[in-house]
Amino acid sequence: MKKTIIALLGNPNVGKTSLFNRITKLNQHVGNYPGITVEKREGTVKANGKTYTVIDLPGTYTLFPTSLDEEIVFNSLADKQNPSYPDLVVVVAEPNNIKRSIVLYQQAREIGVPAIFVINMIDEVKSKGLEIDYPQLEAYLGTKVLTTDARNGKGIQTLIQSFDERPGHYFSRFETEATYSEALAETKKLFPLQTEYQSWQFLAQDHISFVSHEQRQRLIEIRKKYNMTGAELQKSESIKRNAAVAADLESIVFAKENKHVSSTNKIDKALLHPFWGYVIFFALLFLIFQLVFTLSAPIMDWIDENFAAFVDFTASALPAGPISDLITQGILAGIGGIVIFVPQIAILFLLVSFMEETGYMSRVVFLMDRWLRPYGLNGKSVIPLMSGVGCAVPAIMAARNIENSKERLITMLVTPFMTCAARLPIYVVLIALVIPNDTFLGFGLQGLVLNLLYILGVVAALVSAWVLSKIVKTTHKSFLIFELPSYKTPDWRNVGTNVWDKTSGFVFGAGKIILAMAVILWVLGSFGPGDRFSEAERYVTEANPGVAEEELGEEIASFKLEHSFLGYLGMGIEPIVAPLGYDWKMGIGLISSFAAREVFVGTMATVYSLGEDVDIEDDQQKETLLGKMKSEINRNTGQPAYNLASGVSLLLFYAFAMQCMSTIAIMKRETGSWKWTVIQTLMMTGVAYLIAFVVYQLMK
Amino acid sequence: MQKSFSLDGLNVGDVAKISDLNSMELPSKFFEMGLLPGCMVEVMHKAPFNGPIGLHLLSTNNLIAIRKSEAVHIFVEK
Repeated sequence: MKKTIIALLGNPNVGKTSLFNRITKLNQHVGNYPGITVEKREGTVKANGKTYTVIDLPGTYTLFPTSLDEEIVFNSLADKQNPSYPDLVVVVAEPNNIKRSIVLYQQAREIGVPAIFVINMIDEVKSKGLEIDYPQLEAYLGTKVLTTDARNGKGIQTLIQSFDERPGHYFSRFETEATYSEALAETKKLFPLQTEYQSWQFLAQDHISFVSHEQRQRLIEIRKKYNMTGAELQKSESIKRNAAVAADLESIVFAKENKHVSSTNKIDKALLHPFWGYVIFFALLFLIFQLVFTLSAPIMDWIDENFAAFVDFTASALPAGPISDLITQGILAGIGGIVIFVPQIAILFLLVSFMEETGYMSRVVFLMDRWLRPYGLNGKSVIPLMSGVGCAVPAIMAARNIENSKERLITMLVTPFMTCAARLPIYVVLIALVIPNDTFLGFGLQGLVLNLLYILGVVAALVSAWVLSKIVKTTHKSFLIFELPSYKTPDWRNVGTNVWDKTSGFVFGAGKIILAMAVILWVLGSFGPGDRFSEAERYVTEANPGVAEEELGEEIASFKLEHSFLGYLGMGIEPIVAPLGYDWKMGIGLISSFAAREVFVGTMATVYSLGEDVDIEDDQQKETLLGKMKSEINRNTGQPAYNLASGVSLLLFYAFAMQCMSTIAIMKRETGSWKWTVIQTLMMTGVAYLIAFVVYQLMK
Repeated sequence: MQKSFSLDGLNVGDVAKISDLNSMELPSKFFEMGLLPGCMVEVMHKAPFNGPIGLHLLSTNNLIAIRKSEAVHIFVEK
């Protein structure tokens, strides 16, 4: 049996998503429309003896698309072959903007889909000083008009029961201007099976994805012949429709004095102030990151401790052997690496969706757009970029709030350049190794270098955004028009759903890839070809007959790692990393830190036979590691392995390279394709290699 | 006296009537969001250094924001 599809259509900020959450409860999932970075929200609801599929279409003001999101809406409604083509459209309006929603409703009806009309946030009708004549409105629209309030659930059941409603024939209220009638008649011949309005839509749009090549050519010819542009037709329709609806509504919706924006205007006086607005915003941003870090730190420590205890327990419960190692050091370690991110993601999204829900996010765009636009980014990019200082994984997810798909993609591509928390231990170790502990203009040189690396991250993000904005193609012109919605108390149900969506999306979506990579890296580090790996103990004792008992284990671990697949890989890539000033031991560090940058320190400790549990915050252990690393000689150059040139080169490599499989996994999930994920990895690692190479060659 | 000039010339607090929009430069979304000829607008906010402009559409009672680069294609009269 064919499933019944109900599509929710409406302007942004009408509470469409709240309504969707109310209807589908948690029977919903968020995915991507195939091949593109537009979020697809789909859910189900059982009622009237059947199961309906409910689709929350992206918010739009018109069926003429100006962004990828809006193109989804048009394609879903205008193309009968589209898998999302609905059996019934529910046009969602809110009391203050009924006119705009009616325009959208008319377009939907005239293009040929049945629709009912819902006025959401109905509780605001009184406070907004409105009176609506419902029977008149129903007669005018030629369909059923329902009222709901998604915040308290009012009217939701009636709405669900009306999903079988199919309004009768619709008489178009839109007459095209006489000057276009000949062109329209010609277009109609091209699409004999479509409604007249659909032909008009085809004529008025420059990029229609689902018509044949010949039809597209013919449309271009017709536009040329009559010397008209799509934009001109769209404008003519908008003006005619808006004027007509405004006049018709005068006898249906009565507006008395309307007060709702006056309190919003008062708040905006402060929040959008040319000076204080920025002060407040940055204070808020500071607060958010403080909260993300301070609130999540104890939870993360708790997870870390208990997970470690759990791993130990599992290890002791299982018979020792490769299976036990695979489970504890491969799979469980991988899962631990996923779970550890959950507190940060949940807290960040709690705060971000709080900003969205109250309406503050639009103000952020207003304040920041000017500063990010020159780099091809959007005002909203500021949240992902700043979050990137903590961790790129939740930061990339935060880019979902950017509507323009090109700006969203670029934001995601450049966010990992920001200096994340995982780079810090590497920076600390390397700076301590190669940067002299001097002062420069009264400041500690080591601290200055660390600051410089953070600034470098920001510069790299902005410069690459600028370059990418010249390369990434878009069929939609860049422009910005957005509503500053009136301030509201957040709908906690939406906040909760949002946090759950993001967190579970990370755990189950990106988690799979992280887990797979963790297991692969474990296998590479735990197995090796030949007897040098399997009989490491014999080789080590033969080479160092007098070695002390406690050092033997660490020597063996080091020897094993050297002769594991990972070790051979490290030696294999030595010719590639040698021009950057690295030896094969650093090569191993590079490969294994691909799991996560912080692994670098642990791997280096194993390579230098210190046991992997080096605590970088313990000064004595740090000194031991630093001492070992300092005395290390690069066997190719005969110089210390960590001299100034190779150290700076390594620092720069870590500053730019995509050394994080969690980021790769989340990019794959968020862009829905490997294409951009691979491009990003190649771009970042390529830039890192180039810069490290140039700097090393100049400094050595 | 009525004089038509582009919307970015207005200062915060000014009220003006939209007389025309350049449809070659502006997508239809601008019309759909309520920037239509005849509509009264009040400039509420201007972000510093030629940042976005915040408008109160008096006829429909909405607050919207646009960039300066698009405001130059909207013509108003005082």
